[in-house]
Amino acid sequence: MRKVIERLLNLLAFLLTTERPVTADEIRATVAGYDQSSDEAFRRMFERDKDLLRQMGIPLERNPTDAWEVEFGYVIPNDAYEMPDPGLTDEERAALWLAAQAVWLGGQPSGPDAVLKLGGSPMPGAGEPLAANLGLAADLLGDLFAAVSTRRTVRFAYRDKARRLDPYGLVHQRGHWYVVGRDHQADDIRSYRVDRATALEFAGEEHAFDRPSGFSVREVLPKAPWEAGQEDLVATVHFDQSVAWYATHQLPGHAEIQEAADGAIEAIMQVANAEAFIGWMIGFEASAEILGPPALRQAMIERVAGSR
Amino acid sequence: MIQNKTAIRLNRILSMLPWVIANRGTSVEEVCERFGYSPSELAKDLDLVFVCGLPGYGPGELMEAYIDGDQVVVDMADYFSKPVRLNPAEALGLLAAGMALGSTDQAPPALERAVEKLAAAVLGDTEDVLAVELAAAPGSLDDLRRAAIDHRVVEFTYTSLGKGETKSRVVEPWSVFSSLGNWYLSGHCRTADAERIFRLDRIRDLVAISEVFEPPADLPVPEVRYTPGEDDIYATLKLGPASRWVAEYYPVEIVSDDEDSLVVRFAASTPAVVARLLIRLGVDAELVEGEEVAIEAERLREAILARYRPSIPV
Repeated sequence: MRKVIERLLNLLAFLLTTERPVTADEIRATVAGYDQSSDEAFRRMFERDKDLLRQMGIPLERNPTDAWEVEFGYVIPNDAYEMPDPGLTDEERAALWLAAQAVWLGGQPSGPDAVLKLGGSPMPGAGEPLAANLGLAADLLGDLFAAVSTRRTVRFAYRDKARRLDPYGLVHQRGHWYVVGRDHQADDIRSYRVDRATALEFAGEEHAFDRPSGFSVREVLPKAPWEAGQEDLVATVHFDQSVAWYATHQLPGHAEIQEAADGAIEAIMQVANAEAFIGWMIGFEASAEILGPPALRQAMIERVAGSR
Repeated sequence: MIQNKTAIRLNRILSMLPWVIANRGTSVEEVCERFGYSPSELAKDLDLVFVCGLPGYGPGELMEAYIDGDQVVVDMADYFSKPVRLNPAEALGLLAAGMALGSTDQAPPALERAVEKLAAAVLGDTEDVLAVELAAAPGSLDDLRRAAIDHRVVEFTYTSLGKGETKSRVVEPWSVFSSLGNWYLSGHCRTADAERIFRLDRIRDLVAISEVFEPPADLPVPEVRYTPGEDDIYATLKLGPASRWVAEYYPVEIVSDDEDSLVVRFAASTPAVVARLLIRLGVDAELVEGEEVAIEAERLREAILARYRPSIPV
């Protein structure tokens, strides 16, 4: 490992001080550690090194060496390499460190390595007995976050349909991540669950769109799974007394709730995603019932009867 | 998140150098504490830096990096005077972590300021493009967290997820955590004499008992993860494209995976958990194996349909 790190430090030092793109051949001839005997060995080693640097977030760019674009070389623009100083105090670093330990993404702490880039933490500790797990791995969300922050259109598959989206923001709510943005086909704001989007790709250059002025992802944020969708239903639901206390916890603020004498409740609520809503209702087993509208009630019956 | 060991070590070197350069005269102790080094690890990394530099690689081109007494010295390394920009996954991870903890009212004020500064540095401005909200904290959260910190035994009424039964429980609380949209308590349940995880929204009538307990030295990682027990039931499910998320959300073992279907093996303490899921998935999933689940799913299907019966066309 020592040899690899020495070679990478030499490569970085060279590229950070050379303001023009340098070819792979020049790197091989100039930078200590690359003087390999065979072309093939050099090529493999250089490929691995480039991958590792890019994985770390180091902007290794490949640009033409002159206006005729005959030859290409590598360059690391200093302003893209360096982090603008966020001006954190040690107290703030320590708070971030604790948060990065306590909050998990994809089964691991969300970024103690990243805290080092910010100057480490003056008082690393084990944290308090409180933690949160945000589900998806940061790597999956990283591409979407890059698209959001550089305003790049993305495309992905969602329930077997191809989607193009100008991603305005990312939201974590009720245990799920959603990407919110302007859907090209619908020409309207839509939100999609990130874990159900597949084959995500960038579909264009940076700065391709502007967010509507005053856009706030919190305001578009779906409040419950059945509010993330395009349907427009008003459901009436009955909850037996045995589950009423628990259902009340989960009902959205806008729900109209009427309590019966025996402790059962009837709720009238907006549903934008029938499928998610039915999934939630099944959790109540036979202790709750969709009273209307008839189509939603029928969909519930079909889902249950159709299960295998 | 950096996974590769070489990358982790290089990342630490590239983070440590700018800090030492900016804080001339800093001590070995401070650098070790900040960057999680042992003194010998730090010495090794400085030795390594010492033999690197610019082409020519003579005394005028190599970096200077060494320990002088109790001071760390780095010189001739101007090109490493700034830390590397956070990559998008790192930036998202830190911001999300800060916002998540910040949304619980359990975070210090410094965290909110840190998130604001970081968002401004990463996003260029403080546009509202990322939001992380954990489930609304149930009323019992503060009391349970306090009990976990103070190692105080608690007693409460609990309605179990799988069996639907309500029971009084005496628990030694270890930690309170949020996962997949819910808050949980992990601890040693004296009633069951076993490690258990409880959902906070199913806890009622919480009382802290004055008794203090001794927590285990190594607390298990708080995660909603099912630990197989000897009374477990097993079932095999074939999942269609729209049900693949199940493999991410539940602790399953993947039996086979092709374009059209994903076959997973499920372990659960009670068949009801799997049966409920199966019915939720509708036509997009199929029970391949698991007799207890089949019986329970049939019972559940019947019970729900019976309730809706008047409107089922004959």
